[in-house]
Amino acid sequence: MVGACVALAMAGPASAQSSASGPIKVGLIFPLSGGAGPQGQHIVQAVQAMGALINAKGGVLGRPIEIVARDDESTPAIGVSRANELISAGASVIIEGWNSPVTLAMQPVINRAGVLDITAISKADPILSGEGNPLAIRLNSSNSQDGAVIADYIANTAKAKRVAFLVENDAYGNGALASIEAELKKLNYSYEKVAEEKFPFTQADFRVALTNVRAANPDLTVAINANEGLGMPALIRQAKQSRVPGQLVTAVGTIAPSVIQVAGDAANGLIGADIYFPDVEPFASLPQNKEFVAKTQEMYKYTPDKYMALGAAALEVWAIAANEVKSLDKEAVAKRIRGGSFKDTIFGTATFQPNGQLDSKHYLFTVEDQKIVVRPGVN
Amino acid sequence: MAPALRLALIVAIAAAGLFAPALLGGTGAVYSAAVLIAIFAVMAYGLDMIVSDLGEVSLAHTVFFAIGAYAAAMLATRLGLGPVATLLGAIILAVVAAAILGVVTLRLKEFVFSLVTYAVAVVAMTVAANWEFLGGSDGLRGIPPFTLAPLGLRAETDAQLWPVAYGLLLVTLYLMHAFRRSRLGQAAVMVHLNPRLATMSGIDPKRTRLQIFLLSAPVTAAAGWLYAYQRSFVSADLLETYFLILMLTSVVLVGRRLLLGPLIGVALVQIQEKFFSFGGYVDKIVLGSVLVVVLAFLPGGLVGLGRSLVALGRRRGESVAGSMPDVRTVKD
Repeated sequence: MVGACVALAMAGPASAQSSASGPIKVGLIFPLSGGAGPQGQHIVQAVQAMGALINAKGGVLGRPIEIVARDDESTPAIGVSRANELISAGASVIIEGWNSPVTLAMQPVINRAGVLDITAISKADPILSGEGNPLAIRLNSSNSQDGAVIADYIANTAKAKRVAFLVENDAYGNGALASIEAELKKLNYSYEKVAEEKFPFTQADFRVALTNVRAANPDLTVAINANEGLGMPALIRQAKQSRVPGQLVTAVGTIAPSVIQVAGDAANGLIGADIYFPDVEPFASLPQNKEFVAKTQEMYKYTPDKYMALGAAALEVWAIAANEVKSLDKEAVAKRIRGGSFKDTIFGTATFQPNGQLDSKHYLFTVEDQKIVVRPGVN
Repeated sequence: MAPALRLALIVAIAAAGLFAPALLGGTGAVYSAAVLIAIFAVMAYGLDMIVSDLGEVSLAHTVFFAIGAYAAAMLATRLGLGPVATLLGAIILAVVAAAILGVVTLRLKEFVFSLVTYAVAVVAMTVAANWEFLGGSDGLRGIPPFTLAPLGLRAETDAQLWPVAYGLLLVTLYLMHAFRRSRLGQAAVMVHLNPRLATMSGIDPKRTRLQIFLLSAPVTAAAGWLYAYQRSFVSADLLETYFLILMLTSVVLVGRRLLLGPLIGVALVQIQEKFFSFGGYVDKIVLGSVLVVVLAFLPGGLVGLGRSLVALGRRRGESVAGSMPDVRTVKD
């Protein structure tokens, strides 16, 4: 019976192998269920919108692209199963990655199958180490890039001497803190760490921590909290209520428009940084970005956020590279992308480092009247 | 059946199993599924000894699975050891961990035993996710392909790894068969079903429990060892409930104390997940419901259900036959 089941199951994927003339299969693996499910589904929608734009312009190598999305359930073992599934279905490229462990588990499998693997979001540094995939490519900014931006602001713009940190106590929060401190050290900047308060990801009441921070009388407080639904808005409101002195600065990528909406007036005056905003300059006037935002709004009634833009840019860059090298071959396309530069993407000119990391331009912003206002000068 | 004929038949079936993935199409997905079914079945057999034979539910077997995987990953990447040495390391570490856990839980039974083993799994998960020495939340990467130079074996793909996984499965099946026929296996069942009789028969229940723990842990750890090579990435996710639920479901689904039970259980769950998936939410609901239904209503598993149905059918057949003797006579 088991054998019959497998035989039956295999009849599908085997016959679905993409032929030389049919559509080119692009595999997506993101969490589509569970806590990160909504974000993953949004990314798939953004890639679908980008796919529609590419197909309207003649597709890739004259063939239309077909997007096949799979749910990794934020579980590495399931991600690996889904990767095998897409490989068997004949995917020419797999765009993946919300959770770093899932990406790290899938990398060797996709690499050994000779399929190109592009990581959209997962941030862990080892993704680019070459151990799992010597031809790794990643679009989201790394922890160290993010740390450098905040460190630069502390040292060169705010020139703060007394610095406090409010840190989510897990791999992400501690990694982000370590990278900011390392970058400050690199700048040879002397400052005093007057407070360091740690809290779990799920925490929503920061009053005790904020009382300690206020007592330390900082010039500047850095908040590292990836819980955008609950923790970050609560932290911003309570910091205002507690009258914490000095400037409140948030870690890169932790202030979504929804955070500002929930935090209300308390968000005004906040400093943050990010790599993409759908409707703020310089993105607002880029034709490719305008087209992408309009298409996503038309198809899904939703304005794309940074994560969605990263997913769409992954497909966009791959399509440009494949059309240029006139091949779907993993090695040829990866070599064009790694260390290469692409004009006219939704991120403007996209340049990749030789290790596959997209060079991000970080834009510092302040929140004014509950709106993100990008500060002049790019980091 | 004559013993010689029986043995020949078993050897023939075992040999044929090696070619099963090739006969089922031989694609990458089939070999991947086959390798994972073999590895996860071995993982489940370790737990099977505790659940089916000893009658306790250990929720700490993911820890032994992770110990096997971490041992393979660390010894291979940091000391450059080959698979034989890493297997040895995995077994030794698992036995040490099982001895500690076994001694601590020696007096605990049923609910308390399960709770304590669960606590151990939670602690292990936190340690693995946060201790840099074990790779922290990024895990351990760069595990080299499974290579046995004397045999000319270098497994880059699942198809090449399949003979190793199948071999490990056969060894485990033989071990389970021998265990159940051994004095220890019989003592386990007696301790499980009638501890007083066991004590009166001169069996030390605590000693038996500890021995079974020491035998069961390396089996599950061996699965973790091969899984590390198969995935070439090891992280704290091995301690997640995914593997625990997979193990428990596979052990109880088909029926307890059946040699092929866990293998068929794993195969059914994996084939559903890989080839007949209904998406994340529905898959979890299906798996959870199956576990609830089997535990609550089918203590004998699918085989028990089948037996009941057959018995019911027979009884009906008999009563029908009994009520219509004339018809039979006429027909005859």
